[in-house]
Amino acid sequence: MNEIYYVIVVPIFFGLLGFLINRLRTELDLVAFLLTLFYAIRIFIDTRTQIISYNVASFIGIDFRFYADSLAGFIVLFNAIFAILIWLYSLRAMSKTPRERVYYLYVALTLSAANGVVLSGNLIFLLLFWNVLVFSLYGLLQVGKVYSAPAARKAITIIGVSDYVMMLGIVIFFVKTGSINFPLDTKVLFTDVWLIVSYLMILVGVLAKLGTVPMHTWIPEAAKVVPASTLAYLPGSLDKLLGFYLLMRLSYYIFDISKYVPLQLTLMIIGSITIIFMALMALWQKEAQRMLAFSTVSQAGYMLLGVGTGIPIAIAGALFHMLNNVIYKSALFLSTGAVEYRTKTTNLDSLGGLGVKMPVTLFAFVVAALAISGVPPLNGFYSKWMIYQGIIETSSTINIWFVFLICAMFGSILTLAYNLKLMHSIFLGERPKELNKVREARFEMVVPALLLALVCIVFGIFAQAVPLKYLILPSVVYDIGEIGFWSPTLATLLIIVGIVVGIVVYLFGTVMKPRRTRVYVGGEILDEESARITGPNFYSSIDSVDMLKKTYDFGEGGAFDFYNFLHGAASGVAILSRDVLDRLITSLYRVFGKIVTMFGKLTSLLHTGELYNYVGWIFLGGIIILLILVF
Amino acid sequence: MIGFDFFLDQYGIFLSIIFVFIGLMSLIYGLATVREKGHRLEFYLMLLLIIGSGVGVALSYNLLLIYVLWEVSTFAVWRAVGYYRGAGEISASSFTFLVNFAAATVMLVGLMILYVDNGTFNLFKISVISDTAAVLILIGILTKSVTIPLHIWLAPAYEAIPSAIGGSLAGIAENLGAVLFLRLFTMGHYAAPAFFNTVAWIAILSSIIGGGVALRANKLRTLLAFSTVSQLGFIILAFAVGGTYGLLGGVLYIAAHALAKSGLFYGVGVIEESTGKDDLRNVACLLRLSPVLAVSMALLIGSIVGFFPMLGFFSKLTVIIGAVEKTAYFGVGAIVAAVFTLLYSTRFYHELFFGPQCDVQKLRAKRPSYVGIAVSFVLALVSLLLGVFFYQPVHYLVSGGI
Repeated sequence: MNEIYYVIVVPIFFGLLGFLINRLRTELDLVAFLLTLFYAIRIFIDTRTQIISYNVASFIGIDFRFYADSLAGFIVLFNAIFAILIWLYSLRAMSKTPRERVYYLYVALTLSAANGVVLSGNLIFLLLFWNVLVFSLYGLLQVGKVYSAPAARKAITIIGVSDYVMMLGIVIFFVKTGSINFPLDTKVLFTDVWLIVSYLMILVGVLAKLGTVPMHTWIPEAAKVVPASTLAYLPGSLDKLLGFYLLMRLSYYIFDISKYVPLQLTLMIIGSITIIFMALMALWQKEAQRMLAFSTVSQAGYMLLGVGTGIPIAIAGALFHMLNNVIYKSALFLSTGAVEYRTKTTNLDSLGGLGVKMPVTLFAFVVAALAISGVPPLNGFYSKWMIYQGIIETSSTINIWFVFLICAMFGSILTLAYNLKLMHSIFLGERPKELNKVREARFEMVVPALLLALVCIVFGIFAQAVPLKYLILPSVVYDIGEIGFWSPTLATLLIIVGIVVGIVVYLFGTVMKPRRTRVYVGGEILDEESARITGPNFYSSIDSVDMLKKTYDFGEGGAFDFYNFLHGAASGVAILSRDVLDRLITSLYRVFGKIVTMFGKLTSLLHTGELYNYVGWIFLGGIIILLILVF
Repeated sequence: MIGFDFFLDQYGIFLSIIFVFIGLMSLIYGLATVREKGHRLEFYLMLLLIIGSGVGVALSYNLLLIYVLWEVSTFAVWRAVGYYRGAGEISASSFTFLVNFAAATVMLVGLMILYVDNGTFNLFKISVISDTAAVLILIGILTKSVTIPLHIWLAPAYEAIPSAIGGSLAGIAENLGAVLFLRLFTMGHYAAPAFFNTVAWIAILSSIIGGGVALRANKLRTLLAFSTVSQLGFIILAFAVGGTYGLLGGVLYIAAHALAKSGLFYGVGVIEESTGKDDLRNVACLLRLSPVLAVSMALLIGSIVGFFPMLGFFSKLTVIIGAVEKTAYFGVGAIVAAVFTLLYSTRFYHELFFGPQCDVQKLRAKRPSYVGIAVSFVLALVSLLLGVFFYQPVHYLVSGGI
């Protein structure tokens, strides 16, 4: 099966060629992405019916082999699709930016490595490609709108540390079980405490890639400084695809966590915390990309929650939700990117009323925003619904299932709330004067977002007939059975309640149509511009709750930042090493040196330079030698 | 007792090739940068002595010959550190020589005990290693391979040495201790689990503390010195845990670290020469000085940190597999040390090459030396190629064993 090679080699080969021959770059990149898409489709079709696997090399007890089953085929297909969409968007958005050439090289490299991760046949081989992704992520983040090096440093530190932990987990797994090739003959059970540790260690790497709490902090940091395409490409789509792939592979193909409740609970708790806290953080933001970054993190919590249930329908739901999230989150990133391209800002305070000027972008944005909030009949509704149903089904094994359900529902409400805020601030409300000349963005920039929005609708209305039937269910090896979509269950009802509450929050928080009167300040008539009501203060009533506000300020200040903890701990050890231990050792050497010097001075006292003295010493020595010889 | 007792095996040949290659790079860089009229020839003599003794130790099976070559290396490093003849350089070189010589004397006592016990210096005929001899020899090894608390000579030596020969110090001379450990203790003559476990823990602690100091260090060369301390800890750890993976990982790690660290040394040399500054806090925005240097330093640091396309990845992976095979706690320790490596490496790289207002400020620097950049780039490229095609060296190293 040569296709497996090709999807890894083709992007980086043509990408490198395009990097070297700058004049033909666009053509070469087009060839790269189309060829990759072609081979990815072939892999996808092949893996529907069979499993592809073969060895490349094996030595020192480690096999280097490729392996593709239906799950891998699915992920590879979407890797290729998203790469091509982002590339299309970047053609206009990134053109004539300073480090354009390097940007495209990294995009190609990322695609190669991502395909490698998905198609590798064991965890150690996977680690190789996983490491390449660190390089390419670092490189992509360095290509920033503004000075982005600190964000890149933060990202590489967090991802690097989690990679190390994951590497140790894989090594422990390798040493304890011996066989690591997919598919394993029997799933590994959690019999040994080191196996549990190894699962958790690999999970750290997975969570860092998915971007859940507490390893998410580089994403909002990066959102401030890098272009929308980078955000849509890595934290938005490919990272989610890969993180989810490995989460599935780990939890249900290598291990089987459905037989071990504590780990299920771990996943679900991390998932719930991620959903709620990150949605709250998103609600607070005053900058579009940063808000979307928090939203990306928050949505990853749903995937974790779904996988954690161990119920087939929720696992399928999590996979579907991952796909949906990648679709609508990319659409959101790309449409805010289009807005930024025209207005040169993503600050919500200086935006507003662009709906009339940019109708296509508005359409894509609204569809995606409603989909992410789980409004039927869009795709986000179905995937969330499947996850809810799974949570309800865990009631026999997990006592506190309703807590997770409530978290998931409440997260949904918050999602609707911050998306309405975003929509209002950018597209509705009053338009600042300086934005009056804004036009619709260029064709190449609008098309990807529009396509993705249409997919949201199709995947929603024909959820059962198209995505679930052809994409999701064949990719999950479990027998899902009948999915009764329209059965009047508790979940459907709760979703509708959620939406109603969301709308109430919206109505409560805003004034639908601003009342126009003249505003006087100290007798002066204020002009309309400075009296303009902007979106970001939508939920400013939160400000009045003192404790919440303090928590927010802490969060924004980085008090809950894993990166800061890591640096704090490391600095502690560093101070101890340098200022205590190293200094102690140095002074010990000094003391030793002093003793030697003192001894030297002592002996030099005996050598006064007078002849009688030396003659005396010679005699003394002679007597001692005589004595030794005699006895 | 002593003669030209050399033998060839995979490890020896592999290490010799790496050492000679690093020496060649030193020579090229030296030709371009060392311009002192009076004692220029001394530079080349000492460089050749360092290379020769490195290759000799890697290929010899006579312990006394190894000792003699070891002392030749100490002598050459002494002269090299004091090459510039300033007061600081002379004091640093004397210090280096004294510490190394004292430790070598202790080691010699250990070797004598070994000779008395076995009646031979031939590595292959040694059957008994007493605990006293093992500990005494270990002191010599740990001093040469800068393991805390015997690392004390390295930072002054790094600060004083000309950067051209510093690459060889980092790439060749320091590794002799690890090579002797490989030859003497891992061939199955000596089986004392307590000894090896203690050495492993010393190596891990040394690696963590070295990383910690490097995280706080501000002088470029001090940072490199403590980075070396932290990396050599991994090598000693690898040989202490032994096994197929441990030995393979250790040898690969020597190669990866030697290539990367000497490349970094030349990079730092270029930076110091062109900006005239040697403190991390005074240097920034060097990306504008030379993007090629930035790329090659990024690759070299990637190799030290151990990310895949570089050779450093596979060596770190095999070391950790070897460590976990003994006990998973070694693995945890090694990962903590690796985290420190990552932290000080990113700090080093970012403070050097980036800065908040690089576009506005004027960079005050001379044109960098192209030879230095080229040498560091070649080393980065070799690390990259060995890393991508890691099958070749690994296959070569495991095909026959010792």
